Amino acid sequence: MMRQIPVLTAMSVRDIPRRLGNSLVIVVGIAGVVVVLIPVLAMYLGFRATLQGDGRPDRAIVLSRDATSEDGSSLSRDAVAEILHAAGLRRDARGNPLASAEVVLAAPVARLGDHSDVNVTLRGVGPEYFALRPELRLVAGRMLRTGTQELLVGAAAQSQFAGLQVGDRVRLPQGDWTVVGVFAGGNGARESELIADAQTLMSAFKMDTFNSLVVALDSPSAITTLRNAIVQDERLTVTVSSEPQYLATASDPVNHILRLVTYAIGSIMALGAVFAALNSMYSSVVKRATEMATVRAIGFSGAAIAVAVLIEALLLALIGAAIGVAISYGAFNGVTISTLGGAVYDSQLVYSLTIAPRLVLSAVALACLLGLAGGLLPAIRAARANIPTLLHEN
Amino acid sequence: MKFLPLVWAGLWRRPVRSTLTALCIVIAFVLLGLLEGVNAGFARAIANAHREFLITNTRVRGSPPMPMSALAILRSMRGIAEAAPRAYFVANYRDPSPNSSVVLLATYPDLFFHLTAAGLKVTPSAVAALVHTRNGMLVTPPMLTQFGWKVGDTIPLQTTAVKTDGTTTWTFELLGTFDTPNSPTPSYFGVMNYDYFNDSRTADHDTAELFYVRLKDPTRATAMAAAIDTAFANSSHETRTRSQEQRAQAQAKQMGDVELFTDAVIGAVLFTLAFLTGNSLRQALEERAREFGILKSVGYSDGRVLLLAFAEALLLCLPAAALGLIIARLIAPLAREDIGSIVVSGRVAAAGLLCAAGLAFLGAALPASRVARMPITAALGRG
Repeated sequence: MMRQIPVLTAMSVRDIPRRLGNSLVIVVGIAGVVVVLIPVLAMYLGFRATLQGDGRPDRAIVLSRDATSEDGSSLSRDAVAEILHAAGLRRDARGNPLASAEVVLAAPVARLGDHSDVNVTLRGVGPEYFALRPELRLVAGRMLRTGTQELLVGAAAQSQFAGLQVGDRVRLPQGDWTVVGVFAGGNGARESELIADAQTLMSAFKMDTFNSLVVALDSPSAITTLRNAIVQDERLTVTVSSEPQYLATASDPVNHILRLVTYAIGSIMALGAVFAALNSMYSSVVKRATEMATVRAIGFSGAAIAVAVLIEALLLALIGAAIGVAISYGAFNGVTISTLGGAVYDSQLVYSLTIAPRLVLSAVALACLLGLAGGLLPAIRAARANIPTLLHEN
Repeated sequence: MKFLPLVWAGLWRRPVRSTLTALCIVIAFVLLGLLEGVNAGFARAIANAHREFLITNTRVRGSPPMPMSALAILRSMRGIAEAAPRAYFVANYRDPSPNSSVVLLATYPDLFFHLTAAGLKVTPSAVAALVHTRNGMLVTPPMLTQFGWKVGDTIPLQTTAVKTDGTTTWTFELLGTFDTPNSPTPSYFGVMNYDYFNDSRTADHDTAELFYVRLKDPTRATAMAAAIDTAFANSSHETRTRSQEQRAQAQAKQMGDVELFTDAVIGAVLFTLAFLTGNSLRQALEERAREFGILKSVGYSDGRVLLLAFAEALLLCLPAAALGLIIARLIAPLAREDIGSIVVSGRVAAAGLLCAAGLAFLGAALPASRVARMPITAALGRG
C-alpha cells in the first residue's frame, strides 16, 4: 500500500488541470478564511501585546481602593508621601524611592488617517519617570524642563495623530504646551501617550490629587512587603498590583470584544470552508469515479485511494493557505492602527499588525485541518466505490 | 409555475453537491447577516441621537469639573432652551469592591429626562416624587435586581470621600425606576438630586462634570456647539461641546473603523462564495447539456432554457440565504451583550436577499448562456 499511495497521488495531481474549477474551490475557500482570519488575529494579538508590553514584575502600581483603572482612581498628595516611605521600594544611593506619581488626562487630537476626532492619553509624570522605565529612551529633541509647559510625545502617537512634531504647540488650559522631544521603546502602550511634568500639569489644571503611583520594587516578591505595609493601612484605602497583573485586568473589556469577534468570525468561516472543501472533493471523486474503479480493478487498495484523495485535499488546502498568507502579509503586515484602549476611558492605543511566524503557522495548521475535514468523507466514498457498478454505469 | 418541478428535479440531480453548496450559502449569510447587523446597529445608534441635544464637557478629559456659574451663562445664551448640570456620584453598597459600586447621575431630575437623546422612559409621578424628596433616587430595573432592592427601600451607600458632616454614609429613598429602551445592553445607573449631592460633598463643591443642553432649533446644532465653546474659550475651564449624535459617531469610529472592517470581511466571504456557487452551477448545467438539448429539440427556445437555468440558480441561493439570515437573527441576541448594537433588521435581510439573487445571476450567467446557445446537435452529442 505504501508503494501505491505515491503513484495514485501523482496521478491525482496530474489530473487536477482537467477539473481545475473544482479544485480551485478548495484553494479559494481556504485562502478566503486565511485572508480574513490573519489580520483579525494580528489585530487581537497586536492589541494585547502592546497593552501588556510594558509590564514588568518589579514595578507596581498603586490605585485607590474603589478603582479598577487609573482614570477612576484618586490619590492625595499625603497618601503618596506616606506610601513612598513604605518598605519594599527600590531606593537610590541617597535613599530616594524610584517612583512616579502620575495624573492621566485625555487631550483631543485629530487622527492623521481619517481626520477623525480622537483622544490621546496625556500623562503627567514625576521626574523619575525615565529612570523608572529604562525601556523608554529619548529619540529626538530634549527632556522636559520642570515648571515649564512642555510635552514629550511617544513615537507611536506621533505617527498616528496630527500636530505632534517637535516644536508643535498643543493647546491645553493655561495656553500652549510645546512638544520638545520624542520618546520610544518598550513595545507597549507608553508610546501612544503624551507626557508632561505632573506638577506643572496639575497646577495648570488646578488639580490636587494624583491618579496613580508607579513604584519600582526591590524585587518582584517585594510586592507582598509593600502590600502588607500599605493595604492594611485603613486611612490609605489603596490597592497595589504588580504591573503585569494590572495591565492584564485593565485590558479586559476591549480584549474581550476582539477575542469574541475573532473566534466568532473564524469559526463560522471555517465551517463554511469545510463545506466548500467537501463539495469540491466530493465532485472530484464523482468525476473520477470510473478512473478510481479502474485502478481498484487492476489491484490498487481502497485505503491507498482514500489516502491519495486526502493528500490531494491537503495539498490544495496548503496552496490556499499560502495564497491567503501572501495576500494578508502584503496588505496588513506592519500596518499601524489606533483604536480605543488607551490608559484613559476613551483614549487611543496605537499598535501595529505583525504577521508573525506563529500566526502563519496557526493559519497553515488550520488550513490543513479544514482540508482534511473536507477530504475525509469523499475519500471514504472513493475507497468504497463498487467496482462492477461503476465500470458498468459509464 | 409548471416549470417548478422541472427546476426542482434539476437541482436534486446531484443531491450531495446541491446540499453542500446550499450549506455554504447558509453559513455565508449567517456571517453576512451578523456583520451587516453590527453596521446597522451602529447606524441606528447614530440616527437615534437627536440633533437638538448637546453635551458641554471639559475640553481635556480628566481635568477638574466646571463651575456651576457656567450654567447661568449657558441658560442666558440665545438659542438654548434648557440646560442642566450633571455630577457623578460613585459609591459602594455594603462592601467596598468594584462589583458593588453604584453610579448615580446627580442632576436636576425635572429637566434631565427631557435633555437626553437616550430616550429614557420614566413616569411623571416618579420624577415629581424625586423632585420633592431631596435624598430620593430612581434607578434602572437591572440595578434593582443586581442588589435585590425594592421600590420604597431606604438604602445606605458608602463613599470613600468624607461628607460635610464627617461621615461617609449617604442615605437614599428608592422612589422608583426608569427604563433605557434604546440601550442595547442592560444599564446600571440611577438619578439623584444635584443639590443633595452638592450640599453634602466636601470636594468639588458647586461644580458639574458636564452640562446637558437642549437647543430651540435642531438645525443650528453645529453653530451653537461652536458658540458655546467660544463663550468659554480662554477661561479656566475651556469646553468641548458636541451633539450626542457626533459623540455616537465618534465612538463608532474609534472602535477601529468598524464599517471598513466588516465590509472587508463581507467582501472576502462573498467573493469566495460567488466562486463556489458559480463552480457548482457550472458543473450542474454542463453535466445536463444533453437534457437541455432535448428540451430545445421539443421546442424550448434559447431564452426559455436560459430562464430555466437562472430559476435553478435562484432556487438554490434564495432559500439558503433566507435560512442563513434567519439563523443570524436568532443568534444575534447572544452577541448583543458583548458587541452592543447588532440589529438584523428587515433592511439587513432585504439587502442580504438582494445579494443572494445577485450571486445566483452572477454564478449562473456564464454556464447558462453557454448551455442556451449550444446547438442542439452538439448538446445531444454530449455524454
